[in-house]
Amino acid sequence: MTNPNPFPRRTSLIASANNGSRPVRPAGFSHLLNPSPDNGGQGNGASSHAGAPFSSLDAGAAHSGNAPHGLGEGRGPHRTSGGNLPSFSRAFDMFTSKEPLLAGANMTYNGVGPSANVSKTGFLLPSYLRGSGYLEKLAEQHKAKLSADRDNFSSKGPSGTVFSGNTGNTESRSLTLPLKLTSGTHRGVALNLIERPPASAEFEDVVSPLPTRWNSDDKDYTVEVVGDGYEVKYTGTKLADHEAGAIRADNPMPAQCGVYYFEVMILNKKREENVIAIGFETRKASLARFPGWEGESWAYHGNDGKFFPGSNAGRSYGPTYGAGDTVGCLMNFRTNQVLFTKNGDELGIAFKDPIFKDTTRNFYPAVGLKRPGDHVWVNFGQVPFQFDIDGYMKKQQKLVTDKIRTTDTAMLAPPLNDTELIQQLVLQFLQHDGYVGTARAFAEEIHNEKQALNLDADVPVEGVSIKDDEDANNRQQIRRAILEGDIDQALLYTSQFYPKVLEENGQVYFRLRCRKFIEMIRREAEMNRSLQEAGVKAKSTSQARHYAENDTQRTYNQHTSGREDEMMTEGEEEMMDTAEDGTEDRSLGTVNPEDETMAMGAAGVSELCQDALEYGQELRDEFKNDPSPEVTKHLNEIFALMAYPNPLEVKEVAHLLERKGRVAVAEELNSAILTSLGKSSRAALENLYAQTTVLLDDLRKDGGDGAFVTIQGVIDEIPKAHMN
Amino acid sequence: MDPHRRIQSQTSSTSTATPSKHAFETIVADVKSPKSDINALILDYLMMEGYPKAAEKFQKEANLKPKQEDPTINARQEIQHAIHIGNIQKAISDLNELDPGILDSDPHLHFSLLRLQLIELIRNARGYDPTAAINFAQEKLAPRAACNEQFLKELEKTMALLIFPPDKLQPDLAALLHSDLRRNTAAQVNEVVLQRHTERREAAIRQLVRMRAWAEASCRSKKRNLPDRIELGLNTGDDNGHEPMIMS
Repeated sequence: MTNPNPFPRRTSLIASANNGSRPVRPAGFSHLLNPSPDNGGQGNGASSHAGAPFSSLDAGAAHSGNAPHGLGEGRGPHRTSGGNLPSFSRAFDMFTSKEPLLAGANMTYNGVGPSANVSKTGFLLPSYLRGSGYLEKLAEQHKAKLSADRDNFSSKGPSGTVFSGNTGNTESRSLTLPLKLTSGTHRGVALNLIERPPASAEFEDVVSPLPTRWNSDDKDYTVEVVGDGYEVKYTGTKLADHEAGAIRADNPMPAQCGVYYFEVMILNKKREENVIAIGFETRKASLARFPGWEGESWAYHGNDGKFFPGSNAGRSYGPTYGAGDTVGCLMNFRTNQVLFTKNGDELGIAFKDPIFKDTTRNFYPAVGLKRPGDHVWVNFGQVPFQFDIDGYMKKQQKLVTDKIRTTDTAMLAPPLNDTELIQQLVLQFLQHDGYVGTARAFAEEIHNEKQALNLDADVPVEGVSIKDDEDANNRQQIRRAILEGDIDQALLYTSQFYPKVLEENGQVYFRLRCRKFIEMIRREAEMNRSLQEAGVKAKSTSQARHYAENDTQRTYNQHTSGREDEMMTEGEEEMMDTAEDGTEDRSLGTVNPEDETMAMGAAGVSELCQDALEYGQELRDEFKNDPSPEVTKHLNEIFALMAYPNPLEVKEVAHLLERKGRVAVAEELNSAILTSLGKSSRAALENLYAQTTVLLDDLRKDGGDGAFVTIQGVIDEIPKAHMN
Repeated sequence: MDPHRRIQSQTSSTSTATPSKHAFETIVADVKSPKSDINALILDYLMMEGYPKAAEKFQKEANLKPKQEDPTINARQEIQHAIHIGNIQKAISDLNELDPGILDSDPHLHFSLLRLQLIELIRNARGYDPTAAINFAQEKLAPRAACNEQFLKELEKTMALLIFPPDKLQPDLAALLHSDLRRNTAAQVNEVVLQRHTERREAAIRQLVRMRAWAEASCRSKKRNLPDRIELGLNTGDDNGHEPMIMS
C-alpha cells in the first residue's frame, strides 16, 4: 500500500504543529537540537547529509512507490534534530571509528535511509542505548555477520595471487564488494542482516536484536504496512466494536537493554476519528483484537486515555490522544514498570508487573487500529525521540552507579582494604607484565609512603621487595623491540631466552612473521608519503642525510645500551601526521637497515618494495601448507596491502598497519612466554577485569542493574592516552 | 556472551567430572581483558593518586602518553607526603600555593586539616606541656566549631585526647592517633584538588574494583551459581606462580 501523495498532507501537519495546534515544546526539543555543546553548528551539514540518500533513490528510481518521500518529509521535525544528533560523540565512535563495521563507503549500500541513528551497514543505534553492554554485543554480532558474509563472498569471488601485481587490485576489490546489494531489495535487506539468526555456531552467545520495523507477517489483514516498514494504515472496513486490527514489530523488546522505548506518531487527518491503541504484547494475543483488551497485551488507548493491562477493564491513566500527537511507550525492565509519554511529556507509571522480567516471554511493540483513516508512523530509535529518553536513561544509570559507589570492597581480598588492594593489584601487574622499572619506582614510592606514615620509630618499616628477576627483564626487552617495530630483534631475543616458545606457539610465531611484513609495508608507505611531502616542503638533502645517519647509528646501538630513555623520544604522533623528522622512521630502522630516508628517493622505495615482495613470497612459501583458514585469511589480508600505492590512506586496510597491532603481538608473545614458564598468563588485575565482565553480563540478562553499567563506561572516564 | 546460560548448562557436568574448575572460571578464562584498558587504568591510577616517578617510568615502558600532562601531580604528591609525615603546617601552605581558593571553598576540608594539625600537636606534646595544642585549638578551631555542630563534636572528641592517658583510650579516640587518619586526610585533600583541576575525583581503577565487588554481591544475592570464592590470583599462592611480593 503506497501513499500516492503524502507530502502535502504531512507538510500541513507540521505547519499546524508550528502554529500551535500540536504542542511543540521548545524545551523538550532543545536536548535533541543541542545534545552536547560541541555539536553546535554541525546541524546543517549533517541534516543535509541525512537527506541525501533520498535524492539518490529518486535519481536511481530504485524504489517503487512514493512512500519514502512522504516519510522523509513526515519526519521533518526530526530531520533537523537528527542532524544534530551527537553522531560525533564518543559513544558513536565505538561503531564508526572501528573499522570492520563501517569499513568504507563502498562496502555498504548507501540507500539505507536518512535515519540519523542507523549506520551505513544498517545497524540501528538508538541514542539512549549507546555505550550499553547490550548494544556493544549486538554490534559485535553485526560485525561478525558482515565479515562472515564477506568471507562467503570472497571464497566464491575471484582468487589469484596478489603478487602477480595485476590481480592485486581485483583481490582488494573483492574484499569490499559483497555488500553492494542488488537494487530493489535495498532497505529491508541491510536490516535483515541482524534479524536473521546467525548461521554459524561460532556466535553462540546471541543477544536478541532490537525491533526495527513493523512485521508485515505478524499483523491483522485489516492493516497494511506502508513504505519501508515504519508506517501502518488501517485499510479494512468498519468493524464490530470488539474487533480491531493489530500489528507487532519484527523483534521483541530485549530485556538486556534495561530500558526499551519507542514512539508512535498519529498521522490521521481528523482528530475525532481515531481509535488507536499503543503498547506491547506477546504473540499469544490475537491480532484481530485491540491491544490491551486481550490477555498478554498491554496498551494505552487514544480515544479514552485509559490503560488496559490485558483486560476489558481499563483504568484511567492519561489524556486522550489523536491526530498529530506522538505517544511513547517505555518499558523499564529494571523496575518492571511501564510508562507512556505524550508529545515528549512523561505521563507516569501505568503498570508494574514482575511478568516483564520473565525472559521466556517475548514482548513485542504493538499498535491497534480500528477505523479507516487510522494511520501511524513508528520511531524505533532510528531518529531522535521527542521524549528525553537519554535523560531518563542517565537517571537510571545513576541509581545503579550510586549503589556501586557505596560498595565495600573488603570481601575481595581480606584483610586488605581498598587502598592496599589496589596497590597490590597494580604492583603485581607491573611485575607480571615485565614493567621492571615502573614496578621498582612504584615499590619505592609505596615504601616511602609507608615510612612517612610510620608513627613508631622503633618499628622498622618492612620494605616492598621487588624480585628483580631475569625473566622480567628479558620479557621487557622483547616487548620493547616489538613496540618499536623491530620484529627481527624480538625474534632473536625470544629464540635466545626462550628457545621453545616459538616452536610451541605456532600461532604467535606466525603473527610475528606477519607483523614483520606489515612493518615493511608501513615503512614503504611512510617513505612514499615523506617523498611526497618532501616535494612540498623541499627539505634539504643534508638534513635528510643527517637523520638517516642518526637512524642507522641508532639501529646498531640501541639494543646494547642506554635504551631506557631513548624509547620515549619516539613520536607519539598518529601515523597520519608525522614524518616531519627522522624519529618516525627509526621505529622501522632495523627492518631495513639500508634506510636512506628521502635522500634515496624513488629508488629507495622500490628497493623496499622489492624486499617486501621477496619477504612476502617467503612468508607464503613457509605457510602455504598450513591448514588453518585463519592463516590463509590473514595472509591474504596483509598481502592485499601491496595492491595499494599508499595503504595508509585507504581506510579499509589502514587499520592493519596501525601501531596498535604491535601491542597485540607483543602481548600474545608475552603470554606465551609466561605460560611456558609455568606462570599465570594473566595478572590479578586482568582476572578482576574479566570476572567483572562475566558477572555484569549475567546481571544484564533480565534487564536488571547490570544493564546500566559497563566496564567500558569506567574506562571511558580516563582521558584517552595516546599510544606511541 | 551468555554467561548465565553457560553457567547453568555446564554445572551439571562440571559437578561430577571436573570439580576442580568451576564453570564460571572457565568462562572467565575466555573473556578478554584488553591490555590497552589495563594500561590506561594503571597510568590513570599512578597519576591520580600521586606516584609521579612510577607514572613517568610507566609511560616510557608501556609507550603511553597521557592526553594532558597533569601539572599538579608533583605538588599533590608533596602535599600528601607532608600530611603523611604529620607536617600539616607545610601541607596547608603548599596547598594554598597550589590552589589559593581551595580551603575557603571547602570548609570541611579546611577543618579536617586543622584538626589533624591539632592532633599532631597533642601527639607531640605527650608527656610535655600541652599549652601549644590548647592555644591552637582556641585560636584556629574553636571559631569554626562554634558555627557548625559537627565540627564542634569533632573538636570535643579531639580535645579529650588531652585528658585520657594514651594507653587507656577508647577505640574511637585511639583511631584519631592512628596513621590511617593521616592517610585518609591526605587522600581527601588529593581528591578535592583533583576535582578542582580535572573534574574527576578518583582513579578509574577504584570504580572498577568496587564494580567487581558489587557485581559479585549482586550475583550472589540472585543465587547465581558461583564458586564459593572467586580468586583474584593476587596472593603468592603456589597455583598461579606469580613472583612473591612482600609488603608490610
